[in-house]
Amino acid sequence: MLSRCAGVSQNMAPDLNSAKKLFIFLGKSVFALLEAMVFALIPKPRKDVAGEIVLVTGAGSGLGRLLALSFAHLGSVLVLWDISKEGNEETCKMAREAGATRVYAYTCDCSRREEVYRVADQVKKEVGDVSILINNAGIVTGKNFLDCPDELMEKSFDVNFKAHLWTYKAFLPAMIASNHGHLVCISSLAGLIGANGLADYCASKFAAFGFAESVFVETFVRKQTGIKTTIVCPFLIKTGMFEGCTTRCPTLLPILEPEYAVRKIVDAILQEKLYLYIPRFLYFMMFLKSFMPLKAALLLTEYLGGFTLMDGFLGHKKQD
Amino acid sequence: MNVILDTGILLGRFLYYLLESVVYKIIPKGKKSIVGEIVLITGAGSGLGRLMAIKFASLGANLVLWDINQDGNMETCRLAKEKGDVKVFAYKCDCSNRQEVYRVADEVKKEVGDVTILINNAGVVTGEQFLNTPDHMVERSFLLNVLSHFWTYKAFLPAMIKANHGHLVCISSAAGVAGINGLSDYCASKFAAFGFAESLYLELKVQKKTKIKTTIVCPYFIKTGLFEGCTTKYPLLLPILEPEYVAQKIVNAILEEQVYLIMPKFLNVALLLKQILSTDMMIALVEYLGVDTCMASFRGRKKADEGQTETERKHL
Repeated sequence: MLSRCAGVSQNMAPDLNSAKKLFIFLGKSVFALLEAMVFALIPKPRKDVAGEIVLVTGAGSGLGRLLALSFAHLGSVLVLWDISKEGNEETCKMAREAGATRVYAYTCDCSRREEVYRVADQVKKEVGDVSILINNAGIVTGKNFLDCPDELMEKSFDVNFKAHLWTYKAFLPAMIASNHGHLVCISSLAGLIGANGLADYCASKFAAFGFAESVFVETFVRKQTGIKTTIVCPFLIKTGMFEGCTTRCPTLLPILEPEYAVRKIVDAILQEKLYLYIPRFLYFMMFLKSFMPLKAALLLTEYLGGFTLMDGFLGHKKQD
Repeated sequence: MNVILDTGILLGRFLYYLLESVVYKIIPKGKKSIVGEIVLITGAGSGLGRLMAIKFASLGANLVLWDINQDGNMETCRLAKEKGDVKVFAYKCDCSNRQEVYRVADEVKKEVGDVTILINNAGVVTGEQFLNTPDHMVERSFLLNVLSHFWTYKAFLPAMIKANHGHLVCISSAAGVAGINGLSDYCASKFAAFGFAESLYLELKVQKKTKIKTTIVCPYFIKTGLFEGCTTKYPLLLPILEPEYVAQKIVNAILEEQVYLIMPKFLNVALLLKQILSTDMMIALVEYLGVDTCMASFRGRKKADEGQTETERKHL
């Protein structure tokens, strides 16, 4: 009799276990939902980054430069990487004028693994451990796939994505050791949706997104709560990188002003947000894409000018 | 007035496509015939590649099998020939090597003809935490899982465009639409493969190459040995898929010219939720589904790993 009872309770245990797990899940979900609703109304507090060592790749121009200057205003220590010595030093000068006391500029071709490691070692020696890593460097070839030379595609992949692998390898261990750090990935809308005329760029931006998300999950599972991740997916920004590109629907999908984009990105970092899509319409667009029938999605893309985006692409024009 | 008319037409077409998709959910789409087509499968020496090859043989398609493992490839060749009265050609090819891809592709064009169905399936998994994965293995993931797709497209797409006839199949993964713990390099490469295939799909659309189809496949873990040791908490929602079932679904999707195939169906729901839920809610869901621990006991394909290491040693 007793053993029979024991048998019955053993059978019940897995059911109780599943029920318990379900309750925990529901409980967490409700809490998370309430938290999300609260933070939708009250803005999240912004963290203080004064004294943090912020490394920005591609800091010599465009978004990278503006990001560096924003962090200069916030009192961070800046480490600027760019393949262009002039551009980088110009950013360095502007950052000092903006009030940054410690700014370090290094010439670095992020597409070369050994160079990334070498310059990273220099940074660790001369500056210290990087606590905010912003993988921003990127290039666009903007050619139709079959017209794009193999070497150019490989280069694009190396700069836009593989550089992230090497910078993570260089700087993440120290962040983990001190359980303190922030990994920022500048991906793109082209990292969420494929686009014609941008095959290699899309592949690299998709990879950057997937990689950053994966490593985020890794840090989460290992309870490395001090390490934050922010993945940024902007639409086109007026930095000259996509000079000539057009949008058919400026109200929903405007070509973003650089200052606005940078403000939103820095805000997201300070609020430790995981995903940032700019403009806001992208959230709705991605939501639609997840269930809309394909033909309807293509229709919407056509309406928004997605197919003609790259038609007027002129190539990177450096903006002063 | 123009705006109202434009919007009206847009909404009209929208509704039409919505209704059309509902209809197709009930009435299955017709399957195309692939008798006589030339199907090239990378990674045909084992697993999913082998199963697809056998199915295509039974449907009357001629096969071109690529794999780095010659024994496995020849075995697939034999099995395929048993299935159907079709021509089967097996080539040894390390798809991670651009020059080799081009060289073997030229051989194929000379000896077999123009490939009409290209299935980029070859893939490798390292399955370690990112910081514990040696750089050369990370590099290899990319060379094989995504860069090889660039080269095979370059080799075979021009002929498809000329004939305005072809089908490009990308075997991506569930790990190509959501980041997974312990798979950072694999995820990144599968994301990239997805994005690349989707981009080319749109490029061909814009160029009005309507007879060149694309199918992008995102399966959850499949029991082929590639993800040996992986676990799932809720087999009803996220099962570790049977290889036969997956191969059949993929072949069906190709024959029906479906663009996206996500397996199992629950993943579609999960991806939709990903867009709505806040990060914390998503994390709660991921924990509940056990996706965060699924790679904890990953062992992978030992033999394949040895083969790869040998190749790396030769290249170093």
